Formats: sequence, C-alpha cells, structure tokens
Amino acid sequence: MTADQAPRYFGARVSRRQDDRLLRGAGRYVADINPAGVLAAKFVRSHQAHASVTSIDIDAAGASEGVRTVFVGGDFADHEIRCVSSYAAFQESAQPILAVDRVRHVGEALAMVVAEDEYLAEDASELVVADLEPLPAAVDIDAALDVGCAPLHPGWRHNAFVRRQVKTYGFDDASSSAPHRVSIELHNGRHSGIPMENRACVAEHDPGTGQFRLHTTTQIPHLVRAGLSWALGVPESLIQVIAPDVGGGFGVKAQLYREEVACCLAARQLGRPVKWVEDRREHFVAAHHSREHRHKVTGYFDDEGTILALEADIAVDMGAYSVFPWTATMDGGMAMGILPGPYRIREYSVASTSVCTNKTPYGAYRGVARPAACFSIERLMDQIARHLGVDRVEIRNRNLLTGGDYPWRSPSGLVYDSGSLIESLEAVVDLADLEGLLKCQADARAAGRLVGVGLAVFTEQTAHTTQEFKQRGVPIVFGYETAKVRLDASGTAVVSASIHDHGQGLETTLAQIAADRLGLALEQVRVTYGDTEQVAYGAGTFASRSAVLAGGAVTKAADAVADTLREVAAHILEAAPEDMVVESGRVSVAGSPSRFIETSELCRLIYQRPERLPEGVEPHLEASRTYDAHPGTGAYTNAAHLASVEIDPLTGKTRVLSYAVVEDCGPMINPTIVEGQIFGGVAQGIGTALFEEFLYDEAGQPLSTTFADYLVPVMSDIPDFRVAHLQTPSPHTIGGLKGMGEGGAIAPGAVIASAVEDALSHLGAVIVDRLPLTPERVLGYIDAANSSGASA
Amino acid sequence: MAEISLTVNGERTAAQVDPRTLLSDFLRDGLNLTGTHVGCEHGYCGACTVLVDGASARSCLMLAIQADARSVETVESLSVNGAGLHPIQQAFKDCHGLQCGFCTPGLLMSVVELAATNPDCGRDEIREHLSGNVCRCTGYHHIVDAVERALNGVPGRADDS
Repeated sequence: MTADQAPRYFGARVSRRQDDRLLRGAGRYVADINPAGVLAAKFVRSHQAHASVTSIDIDAAGASEGVRTVFVGGDFADHEIRCVSSYAAFQESAQPILAVDRVRHVGEALAMVVAEDEYLAEDASELVVADLEPLPAAVDIDAALDVGCAPLHPGWRHNAFVRRQVKTYGFDDASSSAPHRVSIELHNGRHSGIPMENRACVAEHDPGTGQFRLHTTTQIPHLVRAGLSWALGVPESLIQVIAPDVGGGFGVKAQLYREEVACCLAARQLGRPVKWVEDRREHFVAAHHSREHRHKVTGYFDDEGTILALEADIAVDMGAYSVFPWTATMDGGMAMGILPGPYRIREYSVASTSVCTNKTPYGAYRGVARPAACFSIERLMDQIARHLGVDRVEIRNRNLLTGGDYPWRSPSGLVYDSGSLIESLEAVVDLADLEGLLKCQADARAAGRLVGVGLAVFTEQTAHTTQEFKQRGVPIVFGYETAKVRLDASGTAVVSASIHDHGQGLETTLAQIAADRLGLALEQVRVTYGDTEQVAYGAGTFASRSAVLAGGAVTKAADAVADTLREVAAHILEAAPEDMVVESGRVSVAGSPSRFIETSELCRLIYQRPERLPEGVEPHLEASRTYDAHPGTGAYTNAAHLASVEIDPLTGKTRVLSYAVVEDCGPMINPTIVEGQIFGGVAQGIGTALFEEFLYDEAGQPLSTTFADYLVPVMSDIPDFRVAHLQTPSPHTIGGLKGMGEGGAIAPGAVIASAVEDALSHLGAVIVDRLPLTPERVLGYIDAANSSGASA
Repeated sequence: MAEISLTVNGERTAAQVDPRTLLSDFLRDGLNLTGTHVGCEHGYCGACTVLVDGASARSCLMLAIQADARSVETVESLSVNGAGLHPIQQAFKDCHGLQCGFCTPGLLMSVVELAATNPDCGRDEIREHLSGNVCRCTGYHHIVDAVERALNGVPGRADDS
C-alpha cells in the first residue's frame, strides 16, 4: 500500500493544471452559465437596520416590462434557514428566505423580482415599495446586550445566541498568587474575505423528475445540498449542486445563502431556470461578514515573564442570524480554544458571548477567529515584555512550547501534535535581518522618522475533523473528505473529490499525489471537483483541510486501484502480486524490470478483455475512499512573521516596508503553491491590519458599500515578501501533511500592531489595541504617545 | 436599439444594442466573450479591463455604443485555443501569478498596455502601474514576478518539470 518509487511529483514546483484555461479567459464561472430560457432575478433589500414590514407594494413592479413574477416573503413562508447549535441555552434564529414581518439588517431581502433579463429586473426592482416601520436598532455588542434592549428574535431572553465559560481547576490559585498582571482590551474591525467574484447562482428544476440543479459560487457543494434539502423539504437525491470555477472564496462562500434557496423555489414555480448574479454593493451588505471581536485579556506572570495564567472575556458581533452550517457560535468557540496560542499556558479562564445585532449575519473568513486570538495573545506578550523590560523575542522564547512538550494538551483541550515554534522564530529573525532592521530604525529615528518592527508567532489548528467538530455543537460534523479515483481503458486517471479548488491549486496538488501513487505522468491525471454527483459526500474546502484530507483520500483510493493493477498484472505475468511494482507507466516484476506490462495496456485488458482477468477480480478500476485524519484533533502548522513599517507623522498613514514569514506546514506537495497561499494570506492580513472595515452609523446604516469606502490592499500597498520553510511532519496524517491555507492571514494584524507600537515607543507609552490601523487611528496613537511622553 | 459597428479581437462586428447596455455585458452576453469578468460594476477592481483602441478601459464603466467604430481587445485576443500561450500569459503561468483566475483577464490586459507603453519598469513601478487591478488571492508578489519576467526577460522561478 505504498508508492513503489520515490515520488516524482510530490514536493515538486510543477506549474498548475488549471492555469491555461484561466489565462485564456476560458474558465467557466457561474455568471458565464446561461441555460436556455433563463430568467434574471434581482432582490429588493431593506434600507432599514431593524423594522416591521407593514406592507410591500409590488403592483407597479409586476406590471413592468419583461417581469414574470415578483415574490415576497409570504410566497416562501414555508421555507427558512435554521442552524441550531447543540450547546445548552443556545437561542435559535430562523432566517426567512424573504423577510415576512420583520427585517433585522440593512440588506435583508424583502422581495425578488424575476424578469426576462437583468436590466428589466433591475428596472422593476426600483418600483417595489416597501413600507417599513423603524424599530430601535442594536448596532454594537454593548447596546445589544444592554438589559434595556428588546430581544431581536421571538421568544428570546436576551441578545446573546449563546454564552459559554470554561475555567481550569488551578486558575484561581495561579492567578491570585502571580506577582504580575497585565490587562488589555482589544478590538478587531468587522470585515470579510471580499472575493473578486461576487456570489451568483443558476437554479434549474425539472418538473418531470422533480430534480433541482443549482450552479452556485460555493466552497462547500455537498453542505449546500444538505442545507437546501432541509430548507426545500426535498431529499438530497433530487438536488444536484455544482460549483464550477469559483472566483475566490476565503470562507464567505462557505455558507448556504437565502438567495440560493429563493432561486430554487422560483425556478420550480416558474418552470424556467432562474439566475442571480450579485452586484458588489449587495455583496457588502448581504454576503456574510466576519472578524468583529472584542477581547478583554489578562496575563498573570512571574518575574521572568513566564505566564502563570491567562484570562479572557470574548465577545463577537454575529449580526442578525445564525448561519448554516456553522451556527452563530463558530468564532466565539474558536477564539476560546486557540487564544492561549503557542505558549506553555496551563491555567486558563475564558468566557465567550456570541452577540446578535442588527447587522449582516456573520460567517467564515480565512483564519476564523484565529487572527483575533493571535492579535490578543501577541499584543499581551508585547505588553508583558514591556512591563518587565524584556526583549520581545526573548519573552516569547521563555514561553513558547518546545519539541519535548508535544503532544501538548492546551488548557482549552486542544491537542497540538507537533511544531517548531522556537526554530521558526529564530529563522524569521535571520530571514528578516532583524539586526539590520533595528539599525535602520535607529537611523530613521535620528532623522525624525517613525519606523517600527513587529513580530508574531502562532500555531494553527488545521485539518481537524470528527473529534474537533463534534465538540463544537454544529449540526453536521465535518469529519472527512472523499475521493474517487478511476483509471479508464486508455490508462489515464480521473480523480474526483469532495473538496473544491477556487485558487488553492488542488486541481494540481491532488494530481501530483495521484500520479505518484499510480506511476503515471501528471498529464495523465485529470482532477474534477465541485459536483455533488461525482462523489458520495464530503464537507468541502475550508479550515485548511483540503490538501490533508482530500490528499489522504486520494492516496487511499489510488492505492486501492493500484492494488487491482498489481493483482491483474501478477496474473498475466505469472508472478506474485506483492512483487509487482507500479511505476513510470508500467507494472513490472520487482527485480526483473524486463518482465512488465504497460499500464495503459493493462487498463485496456481489464475493461475490454475480461476473459484475461484472474478469477474473482471485477473488470473495474475505480475506488472511492474517505479520509478522516485520526484522531481528528488537527495537524498543527506554525509560523513566525516579522515586518517593518513606516508611519507618516503628518497623515498617520502606515506603510509596510518589509514582511518575512517562516512557516512550518510539514512536507509540502508543491512549495510554489504553498508560497502563493502564504503571500495571499499575508496580503489579506495587511488589509485586516490597515484598511478593511465595515463601518455602521448609530442607526445601523452601513457606511462601507463601495470600494471607495471599503479599502482592500492594492499592488502598491503590499511589499515584496520573504519566505522560508521548516518541515515538521504531523504524526497523525497520511504523508505527515499539515494544512496551511489560512495561516498567512492570521498573524499580520498582530505583527503590524506590534510594529506601529514600536514605531511610537520612543515618543511615549501607548498600547495599539484596535484594528484596522487607519490613518485617523494612528494619528490618535501618535497624540496619545506624545501626551504620555510629555507627562512622563 | 442602436446599431453599432466595431472591431472585437480583430474581427469586424455589427450589432443592435440597447443604448444603456454596458460594454462588459455586450462582450459577455452579446458576443459570448466571457473571459472579461465583472467584479464591482463601479470601476474600481479592474477585473473587466479591456483595451479600446489600444488603451486600457473599464468595460463596466463604458456603454457598448461608445465602442462604435472602435477596436476592442479582450483576453481572448491573446491566444487562441490550441495555440501556445502569449508570453505574458506564459510568464503568469511560470511564476504562479494567478490563483482563482477571476481578476486575471483584466490584469493581463493591463500588462499588455504596460508592455506597450512602459516596458522598462522595475518592481515598484510595476506595483504603481497595476494598482488599479485588485487581486484578492495572490498577495501580488507572484504577479510582480510574472510581470517583471514578461517585461524584462528576468528569469523568475522556473518549474522543476
């Protein structure tokens, strides 16, 4: 069951299989799909954050040119999206497909116009008149939790989806006897993944068979099918979900959305395909938001800076509804788990509140809570270092886990399998030339400039499966992924997988694995994904799981097919199956390379000459396997980031001068793809650190609804990166693989905050405690540092 | 409806269009040239960039009738199926200058313009010139590698195989 030769493709920097079609403009995205007779949908959305729906006048819209139908909430009242956590005292919310009697955020859909084309649908949508009676809006964590704030959903006692609290037995003793403590409160701005492709879907319904087919921009086709099955009340066998080329996901496309349900219902009712393509303004208010955390953290430590106990109070602004399939507990729970980070912390007390507000619902974004957790623990480490007058690298070295600590059971119950934390920090100090950067900083300061250096270290749970998700209280436990490998009569392979590739390069990396296991050339392997008809079940691409879990499933399935090749070849060559070697396009007898059969000829015989098969062997070269990386607690990637910044003292604008990463994700299938994932993640993290925020006014009106208000990093905002790798294999996974898709995005907020604080440190004491570091906020920190310095 | 006559990717084309039809929609829906992508419809992201008489333009901010009697080039002009990739496309492939591929067609057209107007750029200038094309996947580093390679023949990272 092992590959018969040293891998030819695993570890190689091969170029990507999908690039030719994407570079030629021949990709096939959902907006490119136009079935015959397709109608266009346009949603009319609430302009109020919280209101009673008094009436909706659709008469003029319905009479508008080219309009087929205008749907309102009552038309779809038998359907809704619920995602209920199994945590005790979780308060449920039901998302209507279209609002019925209440709207709970700006952007919530009130009506759906379906017309002959998009222009006519948009014309008619402007004629829909919704009479909304405003209600007081709860637009931040404190306002929503205030006892005077009416609950936002019927039957609720207060505006928390759930509150949870965990404390280790020794926490009280350790914290009360600690000689030092530092407390800080940290804020992370609301923002999200912002893929360049907006959401879109095309729903078709066959009245003859009752079957639905939905092309949609999703990372999780099987989970969308599961959610649709519940929302539509239709068995999964009658629903096919296809995610073709998808233009970026980053988590925001890893949910079931109401628009997908609405298009399916409309297609069934109208007997014609219904297509919806989101525009960017809709995306800003109706696609799920992320990242808005507030953490109050206290570190208790001794004279050497060794942390004795950690205390945290976490609140996450989850917006108006619990989203499928994550529930409204995801970020709060993840932050509770990972906040102690890479440090040898044994005593921990944490409370977490998932708050319901009148904002767009909150879903996944690359890193899920880990950027906020990293920001908190790393900001705390910097404050401890400052409190004791210890260097920032040194304080980390005194607390980081070392090789002998693994497997490490964190105080929140996570089991870290392996890592190279101190080594990665040491390596990034060299890679970034910290000494040189500090010299430049000294020169810059002498010249009156504000230059700073920042760093962060983190450990990242990846490829966690059954054991982890069953503890998270989610309705579907994302335990495994599935792959099917088929060799055809030509001797070429098709690999189908339950994951999706929307930029991660899995179309290539899974082919690398399969080609090695089957002894084929890379060009002889085709990888398909995104169609629920291809493999039985799976979860999809999120949580840095796909290379590990789909890679493992491909390995298992390919090995099963290779076993059949060995068995038949042994029969034909009159040798023992265990002596058969599958490599380089042939199956040969070990030690007698002249005794072989070409793999392509063997495949042809198996399918077309069944009389040549040994007794009991089916004429079949296909295997489907699932892989759940036992024990399911995750493979832990780690990394250290180090950056330098310069602040313009007049405008407060922060510029990233240099950025270095040392990452350890175990053995790499394709280092170029790994580096691309790291760079992309870091750039998004720089957006988190400096630019991106959904702002709201007091009435719950969003203020960031165009790219002029919501800034994403452009090419001139981002420096060249330096990257180096360590490779510590996971003891748990096939091939020792660890996931790494999210890691780049986790640390930059912490790193850049550390650098900005360092840039101001000679002016006076200030704690950089809020992201993003917009020019306005940085000017505030400069003023605060100057005042603190003047009064010191 | 208005009659327009224009050249698209070297071919003369005549069509009846509604005066309000965006150039991006005309290319995608009218001519089935779906390589041009629409990312924001407010002229910021650059995904819909095409060349109009050789100069880059946001096809989401232009009406199809404004392209009357003009020459439009889209990503589909760079290479045809079966033929090899254009050198700029090849550089993007060699340097891993794309991930999801959605911003790529617009970016390629901006690079075509850059190669024609300012082929001696260094990395910082490349970053300035292409700051009107947003990419959310790559973090830009590999794109700059690709553009540098395409413009200057600087060897970026070659594949092992």
